[in-house]
Amino acid sequence: MNYKFVFHILGFLLTLTGLLMFSGIPFSIYYNDKDIISILSSGLITSLTGFVVWFFTRKNLEMEIGKRESYLIVTAGWFIMSVFGSLPFIISGWLPSIADAFFETVSGFTTTGATIIKDVEALPHGLLFWRSMTHWIGGMGIIVLSIAILPLLGIGGMQLFQAEVAGPSKDKLHPRVQETAKRLWAIYVLFTLAETILLMFGGMNLFDSLCHSFGTLASGGFSTKNQSIAFYNSPYIEYVVIVFMFIAGTNFTLHYYALKGNILNYIKDSEFRFYGTLVVLLVVFTSAYLTWNNNINLESSFRQSAFSYISILSSTGFATVDYQLWGPFFTEIFLILLLFGACAGSTSGGVKMVRYQLLLKNSLLELKRLVHPNAIIPVRQNGKSIQPDIIAKISGFVLLYLFIFGLGSVTLNIIGLDSTSAMGAVAACLANIGPGLDSTGPVTNYSSVPDLGKWILSFIMILGRLEIFSVLVLFSPSFWKR
Amino acid sequence: MNYKIIFNIIAFLLILTGLLMLPGIAFSIYYGHNDIVSILYSSLITVISGLIIYFFTKNADKHQLGKREGYLIVTLGWIVISTFGSIPFLIHGSIPSVTDAFFETMSGFTTTGASILNDIEKLPAGLLFWRSMTQWIGGMGIIVLSLAIMPLLGIGGMQLFSAEVPGITKDKFHPRVKETAKRLWGIYVILTAAETVLLMIGGLTFFDAVNHSLTTMATGGFSTKNASTAHFDNPFVQYVFIIFMFAAGMNFALHYFLLYWKFDVFKKNSEFKFYLSFIITSTLIIMFIHRPHHTFSLEESFRQTLFHVTSLVTTTGYVSSDYENWAPFSRIIFFILLFMGGCAGSTGGGIKFSRHSLLLKNSLLELKRLIHPRAIIPVRFNDKAVSQEIISNVQAFFIIYILIFVFGAALLSITGLDFFTAIGASATCLGNVGPGLGVVGPVGNFSSLPDFSKWILSFFMLVGRLELFTVLILFSPSFWKK
Repeated sequence: MNYKFVFHILGFLLTLTGLLMFSGIPFSIYYNDKDIISILSSGLITSLTGFVVWFFTRKNLEMEIGKRESYLIVTAGWFIMSVFGSLPFIISGWLPSIADAFFETVSGFTTTGATIIKDVEALPHGLLFWRSMTHWIGGMGIIVLSIAILPLLGIGGMQLFQAEVAGPSKDKLHPRVQETAKRLWAIYVLFTLAETILLMFGGMNLFDSLCHSFGTLASGGFSTKNQSIAFYNSPYIEYVVIVFMFIAGTNFTLHYYALKGNILNYIKDSEFRFYGTLVVLLVVFTSAYLTWNNNINLESSFRQSAFSYISILSSTGFATVDYQLWGPFFTEIFLILLLFGACAGSTSGGVKMVRYQLLLKNSLLELKRLVHPNAIIPVRQNGKSIQPDIIAKISGFVLLYLFIFGLGSVTLNIIGLDSTSAMGAVAACLANIGPGLDSTGPVTNYSSVPDLGKWILSFIMILGRLEIFSVLVLFSPSFWKR
Repeated sequence: MNYKIIFNIIAFLLILTGLLMLPGIAFSIYYGHNDIVSILYSSLITVISGLIIYFFTKNADKHQLGKREGYLIVTLGWIVISTFGSIPFLIHGSIPSVTDAFFETMSGFTTTGASILNDIEKLPAGLLFWRSMTQWIGGMGIIVLSLAIMPLLGIGGMQLFSAEVPGITKDKFHPRVKETAKRLWGIYVILTAAETVLLMIGGLTFFDAVNHSLTTMATGGFSTKNASTAHFDNPFVQYVFIIFMFAAGMNFALHYFLLYWKFDVFKKNSEFKFYLSFIITSTLIIMFIHRPHHTFSLEESFRQTLFHVTSLVTTTGYVSSDYENWAPFSRIIFFILLFMGGCAGSTGGGIKFSRHSLLLKNSLLELKRLIHPRAIIPVRFNDKAVSQEIISNVQAFFIIYILIFVFGAALLSITGLDFFTAIGASATCLGNVGPGLGVVGPVGNFSSLPDFSKWILSFFMLVGRLELFTVLILFSPSFWKK
């Protein structure tokens, strides 16, 4: 293991995190809040620690890194970042408990959006901005950002890129990984700016629109208001958020080609069609149900259902209504959707559409294979046949995912959450969504979860964000063997 | 498709079913109950229908029995015997509704043990015996029984055998299917007789002892008492149940080797080791976390926990107390056990230990494969490398199983069941266990469910008993193509 290189990169990540903390200070000054000093000192502590580590590991650096080093960098990097990222909350005294501050920061970086803060609006602006910023950094990924700006990572970058970016197969936009990372971040910045401007048209001020755009594009879900998006009570704003949540749940590769003029690429992509069809079906049935059964007018039921479904599927977690009150079976439907996730290569979490799609295809083909036992019938996606080892990998993933979901629910249940809340919380944190069910549902928050539960959920969020394997591989004995 | 042979064999199954209805009459006469005539009539109807079909198809070409015919015979055969098997309940009038009678019979044949009867003890002895008999027939399988006694089925018998017997790989003790089937039924009869004797030593009447032995060995779970096995509040009887439930959940090939004093096969059998250690570990864990909530002695804690873990894991479904309410967190824990299932080649339902074991091993090896991307690391089971096709088949099985469970739970909750009842009913019927959660939990039953739900659940029981593919393949277009 090339530990020197691992620390060198971790030092760089910390420096970057520290510098990004300063970005909230202009808002603190503008709104005349008292959090300037705590943010400044946290930023300094973080960036200086990072710089020192980076500086002392700089000499005689071997540039060779393998798979092991990349998994270690990504997992350790995310943990360390979350520890230092919680400093502003602790130093300013707004979240005095370490468990709370760590949970909130992990929830930010992993773009979960589960919060333990009961009164969000009381927080000073600099802290609120940092809270949304953690989303934005975590959404596209700090490693991807580092690859984009650090030429040093050009060599082993692909390994690191794969360990952080979500999805079973990673599309490359450019043969050079640095260029791919640059393009991804550029699209990300572009969409964030577009949403900010559109939200400002809807009457939001610059601060709120920036924070909400960060939360949307990262598919995070932190809001600056206690009532989340419902605060604005504006259909226009809700539609803007709906559109951008959907965008955040789409493979960014497709956006790249669309921006270059290839709009048809969306329709050609089988996963996107699956995602789109599922959203349309759910919205059509639910808005019909809400209109007939709950006497809500058609436009409003369309908007409510589109918002809720896209928010959950894209793993954003913004809420405008309590969907558990729609009807008796919506708890089930949302529990199922909590295990979904949107497209690979997006900023969303969860299992992802493409995995389900491939497993579903493989399962149905199994029936065909039973009838024709000697035929070799491969799974096809986007006109290409998929290797059996990829299918094996995906089902390994789904099985571990369900296993962690089951184990986590039982553990939280024993710690003291009721059954539905426990299942909802674990599903929502593992998929980086945010709101779960009942006492952790859309209209409540995670403040009532016991401290031990918060630590477990924090770990589960990181597991989910790094798609399980990148973290679990560190627990495998063969990882540490020479 | 050779339809003639299909009907020919189904006719034979019907005659057999009709004849097996008769033994119950002995008990009716002994106890002086009023169900003699209704059982006689039902038996006559069934046998005569069978004879007529048999007569019209007697010149069927017995040499043309392929895979397709095998699947069709087994699925259709099970539906037909369940239909005719419900006639005694209907004619006697103790279960007047067709839906209820079909549900009860299907629950019998598939060894589920879910009941719609509110007062079981009110049923006459002959009907109660037939009810237990359905489970006994379904446990080892009516097709396997036919293979053992019907000389003509020698050819093509293997197709039928593998379509009915659960498990991924079918052990053959003998190159000839007929001999294998005979040996399986032989062991089954011996174990049933042994349990009857032991239960009588424990103080049960001959009638109760026989009935409970029939349903234990089939991992069924029907009881002749309203309070199920809790009626016999006697540690000896409970331990007898535990031992025989455990035996019924084992691969019957192991029992066969046991008869010849070959103990080393146990050491080599990965599935058995997994099964045994799973039951012991989960019993200890569940006992340990429930201990503070229990009011009874340590021995009773252990016995009650072991009883329920064995009962649910082997998919028997006997209950001796309301385990769902032992502690606030018991629900999810016992719910997860509904997905285990016995060993392959046992009479248990569910996913089965060999599948869980293969999937778990494959998922953990995935971590190793991540570190050594070029190495070919096969899953090993019983010291042999498992081929990619089998892994793929198991993955498909698991995914379809979960899919049906989720789809069923959602469908049931739309028909009006609450969340926990819906997921419990769906899981318990698909796994052929018996008790679920909530309304259909250990102290409830299925009588209050809407008719539509009962039909769905009847179908689920069949799909679960025949291990998904045998039934689902009939819905695949390639099955019907020439």
